[in-house]
Amino acid sequence: MADAATPRSTRRTFLGWGMAIIITSLTVSGILPILVFLWPPPPKGQTKGPLTIALDTPIDQLSDGQAVKFTAPASPNSAFIMADGGGDNAPGDLAFGGFVVMNQGKVQVLAINCSHLGCSVALNEGAKSFDCPCHGSRFHIDGTVLRGPAAYPLSHLTWKQGQDASTIEVDGLTLGF
Amino acid sequence: MSEEDLGKEGPGALSAPREIPLVEVDSHAGHTLEPEWKRLPIGPDSILYPVLVGIALFPMLMGDAGHHLADDMPDDETHPFFPDHFWPYPVIIMTMMVILGLFAWFVQKNLQLEQSADPRAVTIPRPDWYFLFLFQFIKLGPELLMSIIIPTIAFIGLLVWPFIDAVGGPRAARRLGWKRWPVPGRNIYTGTGFVVFLAIIALLELWALAGPNFCLPWFTGSVCGA
Amino acid sequence: MAIPHPREVQMAVVQWLDERYPFTKAINEAMYQRVPNFANAFYYCFGGMVFVLIVLQLVTGILLAIYYVPDARGNPAAAYTSVLFIQNSVYLGWLIRGVHFWGANILIIMVLLHMARVYWTGSYRAPRELNWMVGVIMLLLVLVLALSGYLLPWDTKAYFATEVTIKIAGSAPPAFLGAFIKQVLQGGPVVGPPTLQIFFTAHVFLLPALIVLLMYVHFRFIRAHGIAEPM
Repeated sequence: MADAATPRSTRRTFLGWGMAIIITSLTVSGILPILVFLWPPPPKGQTKGPLTIALDTPIDQLSDGQAVKFTAPASPNSAFIMADGGGDNAPGDLAFGGFVVMNQGKVQVLAINCSHLGCSVALNEGAKSFDCPCHGSRFHIDGTVLRGPAAYPLSHLTWKQGQDASTIEVDGLTLGF
Repeated sequence: MSEEDLGKEGPGALSAPREIPLVEVDSHAGHTLEPEWKRLPIGPDSILYPVLVGIALFPMLMGDAGHHLADDMPDDETHPFFPDHFWPYPVIIMTMMVILGLFAWFVQKNLQLEQSADPRAVTIPRPDWYFLFLFQFIKLGPELLMSIIIPTIAFIGLLVWPFIDAVGGPRAARRLGWKRWPVPGRNIYTGTGFVVFLAIIALLELWALAGPNFCLPWFTGSVCGA
Repeated sequence: MAIPHPREVQMAVVQWLDERYPFTKAINEAMYQRVPNFANAFYYCFGGMVFVLIVLQLVTGILLAIYYVPDARGNPAAAYTSVLFIQNSVYLGWLIRGVHFWGANILIIMVLLHMARVYWTGSYRAPRELNWMVGVIMLLLVLVLALSGYLLPWDTKAYFATEVTIKIAGSAPPAFLGAFIKQVLQGGPVVGPPTLQIFFTAHVFLLPALIVLLMYVHFRFIRAHGIAEPM
């Protein structure tokens, strides 16, 4: 094949390159501000801090292998921050619920989200396990995996004892919306 | 002939037989490029071809062009759409975007909001500039006539103007003894009428812009601006 | 295996496309249309500028709709605060809103200039009467777009300007028709949240769809008729 870049018309080639440059710069200078515009601005009224949660069953009344469910406050709209995680969960991810678990004398606070794809796990009191309704994952009451498809344990929440046995303070985020 | 002659440029230079680039086509029917005079300066082998395709998508979407005036004109009175006719448009687009950006940057005063709407607030309503002349016009007569009837008639008149011009024009030309009825740009009646129409709009606009303290006598009494 | 030159890759793609659709031919026809030299006059580009501005309005309008909240309840209303949010907090929000605002103003000027040019050169004459009518309807649509967009920030001047507009539209005879128009435009007995919802729907869904449709018709006509002969 011969050299295809044979000059045809210098003026038109110049016009063609000029237009290509202008059109390219137009596209770039048009798309860049759009991308900047799409980036969400810093939210107003979004604050990190401990959320005070009232439990249905006080911690000192939980017997071994028992758990109690709690949810994040709706007003103001808040969520808990996971301390660790694997699979679908990661440290810093948000959870809208959790369980306080009494396991061999030790109290643990777990986030409600399954580590497989994030469904809310349900307490199975008979088997003393957490069962995921979505794909059948099963977790031991201490959060470790008993059956897949989940591959990682449930996430923990950072917490401390509140004023009395029936309140706890869990690290969370007031969402501001 | 020496080696030097080969390197010479301008008149007297040797023109070596140039190989004409050929697109190798196999037997597929219809796959031949247009003849050279119709070839784009940017062909399918050019690095700029994707840009050309991008630009061409729009006229392609708009469908086949019919028989054009340009088809009957001599070649030196016409030019190809691309790039000879197209090239100002990217420049125009760029200029317009720059102007709009500068306006957005420096004239933010016009975009400032008043208080959130409150039906109990007391303000004098005033439309944007493109309705201001209409706003002023309404004050000049009975409300129904000025705000509904005349604008509606004006709009319908505008809509069917080509037919008014096509039917009424030749008749008027015959009465005037003209051979034909020219376009408004060369027509003392339709051209002047247009200028007078624009002048009325401009005067109404200026009247409104002059403000509520600028009043002129009118048949219905004194009428002030907005 | 040798790495093919980009040009060869491009040629192969073009050839592949050409075997399935007369791609090169279509592009050559579309781009190589002869244009009369008289069409180089500057006043022949007003229509193209209107097209560019409408595209710009569509793009910036879609972007604004991401942050705008069409809710007029309460004082200050969510619609009002969301416009303030766009103007003051969103990154480059002032630019996108400013371009939409000034673009609308320049669009109206350009539409009027385009129309004046078409009138002055007599380009509305046969066989282009239908295209003139499509254009006049689009002028009306552009003005209604400007009118409906004026209400969306939901501040005091927008509220009262809309009240006047609806009052005028509601004075259309006969009385029951005027009352019907007023009731439908207002969505209730006064200008309020339902009015904003109706104007928002018109401004964002109904009118842009109509104007894009009519633009397509307008351009099909232009392609069929070609550029009008000089006056």
